[in-house]
Amino acid sequence: MIRVEDIQKHFGALHVLRGITFDVQKAEAIVIIGPSGSGKSTLLRCINLLVEPDSGKVFIDGVHVNRHGIRHEWVRQQVGMVFQSFNLFTHLTAIENVTLGLTRVKGIPHDQAIEKARKLLARVGLAAKENAYPAELSGGQQQRVAIARALAMDPKAMLFDEPTSALDPEYIREVLDVMAALAREGMTMIVVTHEMGFASNVASRILFMDAGKIIEEGTAEDIFQNPKEDRTRSFVSKILR
Amino acid sequence: MTNWRKFLRDRWRYFDAALALAVIIGSLVYIYDLLVGSRGLDVAYITRNYPLYLHAVFTNVYATTIAFVVGMALGFSVGWLRTARTVSVAKFAASMRVEKRERQEAPSGSEVTRRLLVVLSLLWYGTKYVVRRIGDGFVEIIRGTPLYVQILFASSFFIVFLPQYASEGILIGIIALAINTGGYQAEIFRAGLQTVHSGQVEAARAIGFSRLKAMRYVILPQALRLIIPPLTNEYIGLFKASTFLFVLGVQSEISYIAQHEGFAGDVFEIFAIVTVIFLAITVTLSFVVQALERRFRIPGLGIEQVKLPRGVRIARVGG
Repeated sequence: MIRVEDIQKHFGALHVLRGITFDVQKAEAIVIIGPSGSGKSTLLRCINLLVEPDSGKVFIDGVHVNRHGIRHEWVRQQVGMVFQSFNLFTHLTAIENVTLGLTRVKGIPHDQAIEKARKLLARVGLAAKENAYPAELSGGQQQRVAIARALAMDPKAMLFDEPTSALDPEYIREVLDVMAALAREGMTMIVVTHEMGFASNVASRILFMDAGKIIEEGTAEDIFQNPKEDRTRSFVSKILR
Repeated sequence: MTNWRKFLRDRWRYFDAALALAVIIGSLVYIYDLLVGSRGLDVAYITRNYPLYLHAVFTNVYATTIAFVVGMALGFSVGWLRTARTVSVAKFAASMRVEKRERQEAPSGSEVTRRLLVVLSLLWYGTKYVVRRIGDGFVEIIRGTPLYVQILFASSFFIVFLPQYASEGILIGIIALAINTGGYQAEIFRAGLQTVHSGQVEAARAIGFSRLKAMRYVILPQALRLIIPPLTNEYIGLFKASTFLFVLGVQSEISYIAQHEGFAGDVFEIFAIVTVIFLAITVTLSFVVQALERRFRIPGLGIEQVKLPRGVRIARVGG
């Protein structure tokens, strides 16, 4: 479904990604862990081309997307993205946040967009909040609206960039539940997170990244219980406490 | 005694407003007395002549409004331009060197296409760079020189290069005002656009919005809300500055003062008329803008004006 081949990315003198290669099968949920500054967010942004890789190839559903002649706007509709800081459009209500892409990017008529948005908001458990503005919602509710907004574009895969890191502890559960349900329904997902419970229960594989490289790859058991690499071991021991 | 206190406490804000009003009126009366107290205001002159001044002020309103709208388009374009990131010459040269080395190491595509791509990107970044610098220069020149001089300059420009329009004072005036307010509004728009969080753009781009559509549907609606107060300020400033147009022969209140009456005659009456008309317009405008701000306020953001039901107080001071 998603294939990344030898991706390199520099920000000025900083070498952020040093040759990343991996595959994600359809309906797989991959969790990426790693210390801050290891390039996890940049890797996700390279997949939907919010950041353009310096070299290397990105394939989505068999299509080589980071080459001339492919519109970035089209690529980004194929993969939904959820951000650490939610980034809901502050001037729009919850339901308008979900419908904006439908009406303005996909050109779907307004009433059909509303109908679809209602279904999605119900799916993330926020049917009652459709007319609330982002500033009137809790962090967990905002993040669930953000998930509905990404799902509205009917993406083939979803990218989650630390979706629960900015949340108060009591709201983390509700967001993770929505994500786990998505994974069960067969959505292809790449999740950057440090929620070990989520990683063990939902992830089909875990990638450990450090300093712009994938250091180790394996099931939750491999990574958390018997890490092979020293760096993985020291990182895991820190986050498992 | 207690009743009196309760009465005072319940109606304190009315006393407050009344007191403020009394101070303002008192000082106005004092100034009036200092200036015209000895001879009295010539009310007959005011009732006879106020339509003349009203007409002159409406010329200002009309010139200001056209100039403001044109300036808004100019200001938005220049302001947006000034948020653009340009690549410095050194960086561009460096990336060209990297590109050349990579091509030599692993040649792909024909030499002609390569050359063409280099020329095209040079053109693109070069144009962007030059246009951006012109925008910077425009804003600095407009902000850095007096409006009065700019109006005279516009007039001289027309006399020298387009003499057939040189007598169209109002046209020249509107052009000069539009360019002037465009420079100021460019800064207002730039501030507004840059204040909208970068995450908003990223989110819009992530669901497939183009740059232009992200601007139209996500950034601009938020930026416009932020810049309503400075834009109002700019409009009022421009409105008052439009009285300068008398130097172009546009009939304005100041030219009446100078031509018809002279400063020796009914000068205070003229000031009284002009003050009242200007205040009436600007105060009305500020009420309209306040209503606009309330209408477009984003719920939950910023400080909300608290309206308490009757009889409920936030805190009771004393007993």
